[in-house]
Amino acid sequence: MDKSTLVEYIRKGEPRAIARAISLVEEDNDYSYELIREIYPYTGKAHIIGITGPPGVGKSTMIGILSKMLSEHGKKVSILAVDASSPFSGGTLLGNRIRMQEILSKYGIYMRSVANRGFTGGLSRSTWNIVKVLDASGSDYIIIETVGAGQSDIDIVYLADTVIVTLAPGLGDSIQAIKSGMMEIGDIFVINKMDREGSFFALKDIMDNVYEHNGWNPRVVGTNSLKGEGYDKLLEAIDEHRKYSEASGNKKEIRYKEEIRLAISREIEKKVNGAFGELISAEDIARDMRMKIDPSTVARRLFHSSNVAEKEVNF
Amino acid sequence: MYLEAGKNLSSSRPIKVLLAKPAIDGHDRGIFVLARALRDAGMDVIYAGLLPTPEQVVDIAISEDVDVIGLSLLNGAHMTAFKKVVDLLHEKGIDDIAVVGGGIIPDDDKPLLEKIGITGNYGPGTPLSVIIDHIRKRGEEARRKKEM
Repeated sequence: MDKSTLVEYIRKGEPRAIARAISLVEEDNDYSYELIREIYPYTGKAHIIGITGPPGVGKSTMIGILSKMLSEHGKKVSILAVDASSPFSGGTLLGNRIRMQEILSKYGIYMRSVANRGFTGGLSRSTWNIVKVLDASGSDYIIIETVGAGQSDIDIVYLADTVIVTLAPGLGDSIQAIKSGMMEIGDIFVINKMDREGSFFALKDIMDNVYEHNGWNPRVVGTNSLKGEGYDKLLEAIDEHRKYSEASGNKKEIRYKEEIRLAISREIEKKVNGAFGELISAEDIARDMRMKIDPSTVARRLFHSSNVAEKEVNF
Repeated sequence: MYLEAGKNLSSSRPIKVLLAKPAIDGHDRGIFVLARALRDAGMDVIYAGLLPTPEQVVDIAISEDVDVIGLSLLNGAHMTAFKKVVDLLHEKGIDDIAVVGGGIIPDDDKPLLEKIGITGNYGPGTPLSVIIDHIRKRGEEARRKKEM
């Protein structure tokens, strides 16, 4: 399939074309760069919802229910779930799909699982571009499930229009609720598993600790995925936040800026990785190590030598 | 094998495998062992969960753009369920996803499965390395077809 046909099929929402395009984007090469450049004009319509939170709080089940409800309202939903790669083998078990497969089949919702490939921050390096493919395919909503990792996995705040932080009772006390990191990025907080003991204390701890941020007062919603309770409120909160963020508009600008910053650092990293063997010889490495020169000093020496600054990393 | 942390973070994409039991069969211990072994061999692995229909298996394979579908059954329905998956792939004109089988498969059935393109068909006791090598080989074939 040539590029313009691929773009055409993506815009028609054809799952095979979307799937193949996402694989190409994951490879992150010159071809994927060209592809993104071609589809970029067709992006910007979708509302991007990021769902983050620790492992096991029920993010996948929540996404299943949410996408079902949005589909019933006549909206086109796409889902992207990021899972962690093994730091040792690089392999991944992509397990988020199981919890929503029935809903996906029934409503014809496109979902894709990707590995984070060692990228920290809760997303994968190519997530930004994958979202563009889903956006160009005509999605009204794109739901992103981040790697369920921890407090500092907050890159989703730069990518999503609405960030939902999902928690469950028994994960911590009121000190956890005021810690930095994940607790600061939520536009909506969900306490899932409200059937559990201590759920109202968890709800109260979060309610006590959210505060207005850029003119938005984060909503706190309790849900019970077993019975589907609280989901109407959650959908309402998403809708309110969508209206708020569309009116304020500055989030798109922040995202554009962040994407440029990421793209630059990616270019630098590629150049450095590509040229590493030429920058420093094995003998030099052995000599520096023998002389006990610390790695940062070696790096600075290399970076400031005309070789790197002007020739290898050319900008 | 000693694996060095952080060594495999390149942007090149690993072989992607979908593991599925496309009929009524609740015996999933074996497929979990295999899923983990494939992950440790550096592949991206998706498990379709219990009781997917052949239609669902093919839908997942397409959405996730996998290179290999690994089918397993221990209940004797392989001749119909495995065949259904292959037929659905043919119907949709897909020839760049390899299909590999396994489970309790009588020797007499193996040539028949091979004939419709389902290779491997390993039974209990097969060393994991044999299955991994086979899946990698078929995955690489599929990947080459995708790139054409």
